[in-house]
Order: sequence, then structure tokens, then C-alpha cells
Amino acid sequence: MASDQIIVGLEIGTSKVCAVVGEIRADGTIKILGVGEAPSRGVRKGEIVDFETVGKCVREALVDAEEKSDVMIGSVYLGVTGAHVGSFNNRGAVHIPEDREEIDEQDFEDVQANAREVSIPAQNMFLHTILQHYYVDGQDGILNPIGMLGRKLEADFHIIHGIGNRIKNSVRCVKELDIEVLDVVFNPLAAAQVVLDQNQKNLGALVIDMGGGTTEYLVYVDGAVKASGCIAIGGDHITNDLSLGLRIPMARAEKLKLEDGSVIIGQSTPGEMVVLRDETGFVGKEVEREMLNTIIHMRVRETFDLLRRELEPLNFLPYLGAGVQLTGGCSLLKGIDHLAEDVFGIPVHLTHAQTMSGLTSAFENPQLSAGIGLIKYAQAMQPERPRGLFSRIAKKLKFFALLIVTAIIAALVFVLHNQ
Amino acid sequence: MIELPRLPFDFSRYSIKVFGIGGAGCNALDRIVLDGLPGADLVAINTDAQALAGSVAATKVQIGQTITRGLGAGGDPEVGRTAAEEGIGEILGALSDATIVCMVVGLGGGTGSGAAPVIAEVTREHNAMVIVFATMPFHFEGKRRTAQAMESLAALHQVADIVVCFENDKMGEAVSPKASIQEAFAVADHTIGQCVRALVSMAKRRGPVHTGLDEVATAVRGESSRTLFGYGEADGDNRAHEALAMALRNPLLDRGRRLHDTESAVVHIAGGPDLTLDEVQILMDEVNKQMHEQTRIFFGAAVDPQLMGKLTVTIISGVPAEEFVETAPPPARQPIARPVAVAPPVEDEPELAFGGNGSQEEPAAEIEEEMELEEEEEEVSAELPPPPVQPKPEPVRPVAPRPLFAPLRRPVAATPPPAPAPGPAAPREQKAEQMQFEPVNRGRFEKSEPTIIDGQDLDVPTFLRRNPRLK
Repeated sequence: MASDQIIVGLEIGTSKVCAVVGEIRADGTIKILGVGEAPSRGVRKGEIVDFETVGKCVREALVDAEEKSDVMIGSVYLGVTGAHVGSFNNRGAVHIPEDREEIDEQDFEDVQANAREVSIPAQNMFLHTILQHYYVDGQDGILNPIGMLGRKLEADFHIIHGIGNRIKNSVRCVKELDIEVLDVVFNPLAAAQVVLDQNQKNLGALVIDMGGGTTEYLVYVDGAVKASGCIAIGGDHITNDLSLGLRIPMARAEKLKLEDGSVIIGQSTPGEMVVLRDETGFVGKEVEREMLNTIIHMRVRETFDLLRRELEPLNFLPYLGAGVQLTGGCSLLKGIDHLAEDVFGIPVHLTHAQTMSGLTSAFENPQLSAGIGLIKYAQAMQPERPRGLFSRIAKKLKFFALLIVTAIIAALVFVLHNQ
Repeated sequence: MIELPRLPFDFSRYSIKVFGIGGAGCNALDRIVLDGLPGADLVAINTDAQALAGSVAATKVQIGQTITRGLGAGGDPEVGRTAAEEGIGEILGALSDATIVCMVVGLGGGTGSGAAPVIAEVTREHNAMVIVFATMPFHFEGKRRTAQAMESLAALHQVADIVVCFENDKMGEAVSPKASIQEAFAVADHTIGQCVRALVSMAKRRGPVHTGLDEVATAVRGESSRTLFGYGEADGDNRAHEALAMALRNPLLDRGRRLHDTESAVVHIAGGPDLTLDEVQILMDEVNKQMHEQTRIFFGAAVDPQLMGKLTVTIISGVPAEEFVETAPPPARQPIARPVAVAPPVEDEPELAFGGNGSQEEPAAEIEEEMELEEEEEEVSAELPPPPVQPKPEPVRPVAPRPLFAPLRRPVAATPPPAPAPGPAAPREQKAEQMQFEPVNRGRFEKSEPTIIDGQDLDVPTFLRRNPRLK
């Protein structure tokens, strides 16, 4: 339908590049039309290290997405990540000019600009300035100050920033393919949009997206983003640990992690071995299951510990009503939810994008949470579009039609009666 | 395959008695009677006449008739002790010509905690070897009972040759949460029974590679050590694997995990005349995987025609009691740092020639173990603030000063606490430092921007940074 809008979310991940094609329907629902994927090369820890190769991978993924969804892709929303992305909370304040009492949209923009007047490293650029709360003359809990009377408007913002050139590199990588980048979004922010519903955001939740190269997190408290960040540790590290610890090639280690890996230690019987077979099914090497799991366990636990240490000073972990929502490729590791529960001490749920129509396999895959989230983010960022004029007229016409039919019937009955 | 030769052995050299003392001890003894223990006399000793009447043991000794009038000791160790002193005559009668006495006792109550040290002393006087199988009370039974148990355990350590100490809490883990309480206790009793039987048969059986009670004494030594015990028995083609798996499944071994922390362990393999070297090899290879390379393994193999077609594995070791140190009252923590005075050099007792091949290395083990314990104590004291009052500064030696008996042949832990040994501690630190200087491999992240948080290069595998002990 012409009134529906096609949005493409592109995520250049460490393990794969994925392009999710979604359709925002007139009624606001999102339908996933197709997902294009390509194994990623030239990305380490979420950042591009080989520009040319990444370009090829992005092209592959986009072509794949076009084929699968039967849509021409002209623009994308690009997800970015990397350890360089940082965040903080800041409050902006503006005084309303003397000649006017009412707060208008200009003040709203001013307060946002004011909040951004903080020193971030020179090379960094702002990714997001996310509103948390308004205060009008010190009164808090204001949801929408426009039109209110006041002398002073303040607002808390969560500001996410990253190194400009690195973000621009990702953008350029896409632009070189003659694809427009509509917006750049920090991955966990996108993922949180589909992993959490409004209720969970209000209750408070910690979203952890543990992907191939990075582990990103975002905290919602009282419906507002309170903290976010990225640790450059991910599934790749687990694979690397296994490769070094068990002395097997990376590809083998990756396969072993996916097929037999688990973070549960102490459950395997002593001496239980996992047999590694090569492509021909020939037994190459045996590794002890306990050893395998211990290596994975230690890495994952350390990563969660780092996260917890980062979040603990903010002191809201115990108050997150919706607990920890764990997503991303690493959330597929066996037992990882129990380990996370052990570390964070609050309930942990393994999640993926919430139900929407279209490809079931897509939104049920936690690896695609960020990709799908980009579409939802795009939808949320767009100003609410007025509903089509035609539909409103049609609705009125229906009413009139009914009225006319009733009148004719009444007239007929009257005429017949008179005869 | 090499068939291990069958050696003749002699049962008659030992007269083995098993004493069940107190309520818990008698219950365990009943279990042993029901499961059968050939070649040993079983004696139930209790203050409670009614409980004694219900026991299935062949010989029953009621102690403290005048004090308790046939009732129990009422949870008071003092009553239990007096009762035992009063019943010396009967106990001596039951001892008769015993050379090895196994005492099964549940600590924490009145009769067991009070009478066991007295009986152990009498037995020592009688020139018999004393092996105590003690159970520590459940955590939920309260600190008071734990304190009583610790006190009694310390006293037992002074007099007994071997103290095998089990934690009821650990045994409770073995049963499913839905199991009835009777089942739970039956499992605990069964484990104790297995251990008694295993030790008795180790003492009796002679084999190509002898391991006896002296090695067991070394493995479980330490006043605050808790025993790890696993026993497995299997037949069929894959019996070596199955028996070991069964042994490791024992809750006290925690699937073999706790073995990794032990200083030394006894692994005893017994089989019929058809036991092959190959099986022993397979089994020991797997056992070695469970343990740290530095662990001293006392390996023993024995052949018993009665085991035709079967193979049994017994694993006995000791670890410091970590949980108990935390829950025990402050005075009880004192013995931790004291030198281990449990296992007497067996050479002192020519009448019990168990061989002595384990004793030469003992000092080293002692130091190592002490270090371990000292470290632990530091850890604990860091966690728990020191209590304001220390009601009983020296509660562990209540038995020693009693004039009722002639002094023991052996000094009762008169050794003063040794100065903290800086010698062995230094190399350990050095080792840890060396680890950092070793070239570390960052694998695929070799050329990428390092992830450094809090001064740690997180690209280096966690297991390399955290746990150099991992094989």
C-alpha cells in the first residue's frame, strides 16, 4: 500500500552484517518483510578495521535483504556501537524571556542545546540527546511543558556520544554504496525499543545486548533512559578464549561454542569429553566438557561483573522492576540467564523483539533485536502522521450512505402505505 | 594384559570392632549391621536404654545408668562424658582384644559429643588403633550444637589416630528435596557405613600396591578438615569407568570438584583376581584429571577373591572446612592455625604394621596445609568482624587434664603454634608475579585496539588472567 512506509535497519556487527526490512503500516504496526544477512569481515569489537571488506559485506547483506523482501533499498537507519561510545546525564535550563510567559517549542530546543553544552572529548560527536524529565520552575514530573506558563524550563537529558570519525566511517561505508543514511542510532537504544514494552520501561529494566564483538547495555528507569554504554567484549572473545585455551582453530572454536558451549560449570560428569570432528566426521581431538564450560563461564561472568561494577554506583539495580532483559547472539548460550541472575541478583529474562507481524523467525531471533529495533526507533522518531484524508471522508460517507438508505426505505414504506 | 598376581592375606591379624556411640552413632551402626560388615564386631553404646533396645547390633553397652537412669544425655556433653566415665568397665569389656576400633558418632548431641572422646581415650590406652567417623550437625541445628560438636571434635583429634569427619549438610545435598527425612538420614548413614567398610577392608586387604590406614591418616589430617569420601563399585566390561563415576557422584566429592583443592588423597582400587593393570591405569588416569598436579595421590590396589568380577574404587581425602569456619563460634576457629597433631607416625606402633611409606613427606604437606588454612583464616576474619567477647579462649582441650587415665603415650598437641612460615609463602607470591611476565597471547585481537579496563587487558582470555591453575 502506498501509505505504508518501508524502513530498513542496518547493523554492521562483528559477526555479521544484517539488514532488516520492515514496513510501518498505517495503523502503526510493524511488519518484517525480510532480513538480509552476510557474515561480517573486517569488523572488530563493533568497529570497522577494514573499510573495503566491510563495504562488500554491507552490499551483500543489502542485496540479500532486497531479494528476500522484494524491496528497493534506498535509505537505511544505521546502528552503531563500539567501546568509544559513552554516555552521561545532564540537566539543561533556560529562562523564558521577560516578554512572554508561555513555554513554546523554541524553549524546548534551547533547553536541549543547553544540556549539550558540556565538554565531551573534542573528537566526539553527540549521538543522542534523550529526554528524561522536564522541570518547570522547579516543579518536576512535567510531561509536556509546551503551552504551560513558567519562568524557567529545565530538563534532564541522557546524552550519548561517540568518536565522530568512527561513526562517520560507518556512515561512509554505507554511503559509498549510494544508500542514504537517515539516522545513526546507538544499538542498545534500538534494541531496547523492541525488547521492552512501555510498561517495562516504566517499571525499569536493564537491557543487555551481548553480541559478537561488544556487550551493550541500556537502563530504563521510570520510562526514561538513565544509563547506557558498551563494553568491547563479546562472543568473539569467548571464541578466542576457547581457541587459545583448547588450542583449536578459531572456526572450530566458534562451532564448538555454538554446539556444545554452556556457561554452567560443575554439572558435567568428571572426565566427560566432547569429541571434535572435522568436516569428514573424523575424530580429531577431544576436549573436556568441564574445561570448555569453565572457559566460557569465566569470560561471561567477568563481562557481567564489569557491567555490574559500572552500574552499581548508579544504585538502581535493585529497583529495576522488569529485571534484566538479555538479548543478542550470546544470550543463546546455555544457562547464561542463570549466570546473569547470579551476578546481578535480580530476575533475568532472555528476550528478543516483541511480537510483530511478518517473519516469525526474524523477531524471535535475539541476534536481530538491534536490527529490528532500528525500525521501531525510526517509527518512534517520526512525527505522528495525520491519518489519510481519504479514510476520514470515507468514514463520513459511510454514515451518510446509511442515512440515505434509511430515508429511502422510510419513503418507500410511506408511499406503499399510502397506496 | 598383565593379570595382577593374587596374594594371600591374613584376616586373623586384626580384630576389628565398630562402636556406634550415641543416637546418631547407633543409627549409623544399625545401617552397617543391615548392610553387613563381615569380620568386625559391632557394638552399640548409648545412654538411652530404649534406643539401645531398638538397635540391631550384636553387642549393646548401656552407659551412665546411674546418671541418666536409662534416659538420654539430654543434649549435654557433660552428662555424656560422666556417663562414659562411669561405664568404663563395660566399655573395656566390649573392647576385649580389639586392635582396630572404628567409632561411629554423631557430634553435637550429649552422648556422642561427651562420651566419644572418653571412649576413644580408653581405646587408645588399650593399645588399639582408633578411627573416628564423626558427623557434624546440620547447619539448622543451631550454633550451640555446632560449637559442642567442634569442641568434641577437637578432643577426638587429640586421641584418635584417624578422624574422618562428615558434614551432615553436605550429605543432605545428596537426597532429592522430595525425599523423606528418613531417606535423607538413611543416605547419610549409608555413606558412613560405606566409609567404615572401605577403611576396614583397606586395612585388611593386601595387594600389590599397598595403601593402608596411615596414608588415610595423612589424607584426612588437619583438625578442621572435612573428609571427602567417595566409593564406587561396578562390574561388567566398563567397570573401571563406572566405579569411578559412581565414586565421584558421592555428594561429599561434589562430582569430583572438591578433589581439585586437596593436598593429598588416597585412591584405593580393589578387585577380584581378574583385576587388570590396564583397568587400574585407565582409572588412575581419570582420577589424575580430577586432581591438581601438586596433589599427592596415595594409590593402592588390592586383590580380594570375594570381589570376583567386581571392581571397587575408594577415594578419601580431606579439605579445610570452609563453611564451618564461617558458622562456627569464634573460639572454635582457634585450632585452625595449630599444627596438625592427628596422625601419629605409625612406626610407633609395631603391633599394627600398616607400613609407613607415606610418612616421610609429611612435614611438607603440613606446611602446605597450614598455609592454606592460614590464608583461609585471614579471609574469614576479614569478612567477619572479631566478636567483642571471647567466652572460652581454650575450649578445645577439655579431656586432657582429667586424671582418670594414665597419660597418653603421645603428647597431646603440646606443640606451640608455629611462627608463620614465610618460606613457603614467598615462592607462591613469586609464582603469581611470574604469571604476569609470561608472554600472553591475545589471539585474534592481537592487532586490534586493546580493551583495557581497570588495568586489565580483557582481550587476554579470562581463564589465563584469573586461574593459572586451570589445566
